[in-house]
Amino acid sequence: MNDSIIILMLGVSIFLGALALFGIMWAIKTGQFDDKEKFLNQVQFDGTEELNDAAEQQAKKAELKKRKEDYRPE
Amino acid sequence: MIKVGLRLSKVACSHCHLEFDESVMIKDETLFFCCKGCQGIYHLLQDEGLDTFYDKLGSERLVPPTEQFENSEHFNAPAFFERYVTQDSEGFSEVSLIIEGIHCSACVWLNEKALHKMDGVVEVFINHTNNKARVVWDNDVVALSQIIDMIRAIGYNAFPYDPNIQEAQAEKERKSYYLRIAVAAFAMMNIMTIAVAQYAGFFTGMDQNIKSILNVAEWVLSTPVLFYSGWVFFRGAYYGMKTKTVNMDILVATGASLTYIYSIYITIFERGEAYFDSVAMIITFVLLGKFLEVLSKKSAADTLDVLSKHIPNEVTLLKDGQQLNVNVNDVVVGDTLLLKSGEKAGIDGEIIKGEGSFDESSLSGESLPVYKVVGDFVVSGTTSIDAVVTYRATKDFAHSTLTNLLTMLERSLSKKPKIEQMANRLSEYFSTVILLLAFVTFVVWWLWPHSFETAFMVGISVIVIACPCALALATPVATMVGLGQGAKSGILFKEAAHLETLAQIDTLVLDKTGTITEGRPQVQEVKWFSEKATRKSDIEKLLALLNASKHPVALGVREYLEREEHTLAVLDEIQQIPAKGMVARCDGALLVGGNLALMHDYGLDVNVESGHTLFVFAIDKKVIARFELLDQPKPEAKSVIASIKASGIRVVMLTGDHEGVAARVAQEVGIEHYSAHLTPKEKVDAISTMQANGEKVVMAGDGVNDILALAQAEIGIAMGGGSDIAIDVSDVVLLNDSLIALESAFKIARTTFRLVKQNLAISLLYNAVTIPLAMAGYIIPLIAAISMSVSSLLVVGNSMRIKLMWKKG
Repeated sequence: MNDSIIILMLGVSIFLGALALFGIMWAIKTGQFDDKEKFLNQVQFDGTEELNDAAEQQAKKAELKKRKEDYRPE
Repeated sequence: MIKVGLRLSKVACSHCHLEFDESVMIKDETLFFCCKGCQGIYHLLQDEGLDTFYDKLGSERLVPPTEQFENSEHFNAPAFFERYVTQDSEGFSEVSLIIEGIHCSACVWLNEKALHKMDGVVEVFINHTNNKARVVWDNDVVALSQIIDMIRAIGYNAFPYDPNIQEAQAEKERKSYYLRIAVAAFAMMNIMTIAVAQYAGFFTGMDQNIKSILNVAEWVLSTPVLFYSGWVFFRGAYYGMKTKTVNMDILVATGASLTYIYSIYITIFERGEAYFDSVAMIITFVLLGKFLEVLSKKSAADTLDVLSKHIPNEVTLLKDGQQLNVNVNDVVVGDTLLLKSGEKAGIDGEIIKGEGSFDESSLSGESLPVYKVVGDFVVSGTTSIDAVVTYRATKDFAHSTLTNLLTMLERSLSKKPKIEQMANRLSEYFSTVILLLAFVTFVVWWLWPHSFETAFMVGISVIVIACPCALALATPVATMVGLGQGAKSGILFKEAAHLETLAQIDTLVLDKTGTITEGRPQVQEVKWFSEKATRKSDIEKLLALLNASKHPVALGVREYLEREEHTLAVLDEIQQIPAKGMVARCDGALLVGGNLALMHDYGLDVNVESGHTLFVFAIDKKVIARFELLDQPKPEAKSVIASIKASGIRVVMLTGDHEGVAARVAQEVGIEHYSAHLTPKEKVDAISTMQANGEKVVMAGDGVNDILALAQAEIGIAMGGGSDIAIDVSDVVLLNDSLIALESAFKIARTTFRLVKQNLAISLLYNAVTIPLAMAGYIIPLIAAISMSVSSLLVVGNSMRIKLMWKKG
């Protein structure tokens, strides 16, 4: 077997494995496994309504933040 | 959308789904509600557009909301903000709350949704598993009290907790371990696959260039294991050196990094065998052992949350003829306070009006209620059973009994003595010896004379072969199996190390009430004076009368009578006579049930000499029955105590109860050493004295009066029926109240400890064989790898035997 084939195979497989590892690490870091109940019942919280809700919440936060920044004591 | 289940005349409440008779329900057009609270919440959800809650709820039932009059204004107080509220970098406020009443995912949804809808609320995250919530809001737009009011309005309640204590720390530590183990496991699996090819090549021959490629791949993979996953060992080694102790971390860190450096040298100069697989294996296995220990640690943080819940937050202050709810901290000495029946006193004081029974069992351990009149003292932490009294505060909150108790508790928890763990001691010597041996080997080989390279390699092989994998796994694996076995038998060890400590105990201190005894009076003897023919109707009348009282004596008699099925008679004019008994009418006949004093009041002369509690029942001034009650030792108490004594443990009973009762119980269950009439503080002193005499003490108890002693002892064991505080303070919890579980806890601990010792012996034996071989330069990588795995497997396999050993006793 050619040396470069071995290097390629090792390289590709370790790279792909590492991608999956980073995925898991990202999920642990962002707390996606913290609440096992919510994690298991996720399907109930995954509708369009919840997505809209999350988006609205973000917009609200951005607006409040802006209001705070614009605020100048007289 | 609305689910109203009809079953005969029973109708389900449209909000909570509990079923009641149609006649008692509130009818609201086509809907039915069991109470005003449910009706209010239903309409609120409709108005807010949150009615999809009922779709998510399905057929789940809710607990109907309790009426809440508590004022939420104190959530806005500066003192509250200082303690519980933090400001984030964007200027928003953040608080951590525990939400009461959550029991399904629909509840979580409703709370999050309702708060999201509020103007000014920026973020709400509710953890369904532990009901803890994090709320972020803009304090300029909305006040915290409004947020709390919203939670209450939809039928839940919230109280704050301080998240900065250990819990967050423990959670962070656990998460960091997950990440490190994920990396280590991933890299080790890959390295092992590559290593298989290398070992095959070692025997069948392999080109140097292929060997180098595999070495480089292993190098790449082992680097994150050593420096990321293995970071904890470097940190541990640094602290070890700083405090001048040689710990296991130093051995792991030096062993792994020297092997790593050596393997890089081999890879670059293409000679000999690289040991990258050993680097990954040492780090991964020892990290796994550490992780098992971290997992089994219960975060002590919850303790403080539960403690603060036990202190009444508010008291009723009487001022200018008005009743005001004030914070306990605002009460000053001399204030007049009102204590209603069923309430817990938050402040010490002297009764100026009213009288009634108090449950002081939580402080004194005395099982019978204490009757208090004007001039007597109310002690904080005790509960009024039936009394409505007005009392004058003689102390402020900070100096009241309950606060003192909790302050003392916090102090003793932080000073809790610990028996030093055997494995830790061992690993310290072990690490020193191995490092010395490796150094000696290196020097001897170098001087012999060999090249520096060969001498270095042999020196390192000593460290590598002494791989502490087995040693590191010896304790955690055995204790994890022990913990599992304990959990199956209803014994929860809060920390794995407690198993080892419990096995080395030589004195067992037992509380009396609720631990040795049942904790409630039970009927010992009954004497009936009525005709057999009327017995049935007499019992029906007595049961109906007893039903009206929650007094422990009444409960004891009722429990005795309810061993057979009876219907209840219908009574009129039921009257509670405080500390004496009950009076009622049934079909015109006068029913009187209570103690001798009550009989005397009604002109009945019952002359009985009895050391037990008496309950007499009379109809129309004729005595019908007499019950003698006693707080009995648990049936298994005598045999369990005998068997614990037989295993060489001294058993001592400490109780707050009277001398006479204590002597009787001690004699009945076979305890020679006991002390009676002790305050919680005196119990601690008794234990401290024992500890000063060199005894290692385990304390088993259940009440609030035991918490200081539980915290003081090396190991505190809480009985399952105990108070929340006792359960929280203790190290071991018995889920059922039986003393047999206590005996099992000892057995499991001893078996586990024996296994730990065996495991340590196995790993030391392994080292005793392999280290001389390594020093002589005979160790090749294949043997190193196989022997490391075999020793670890032996340790794990040996630990699994605990189940068999425990069954055999």
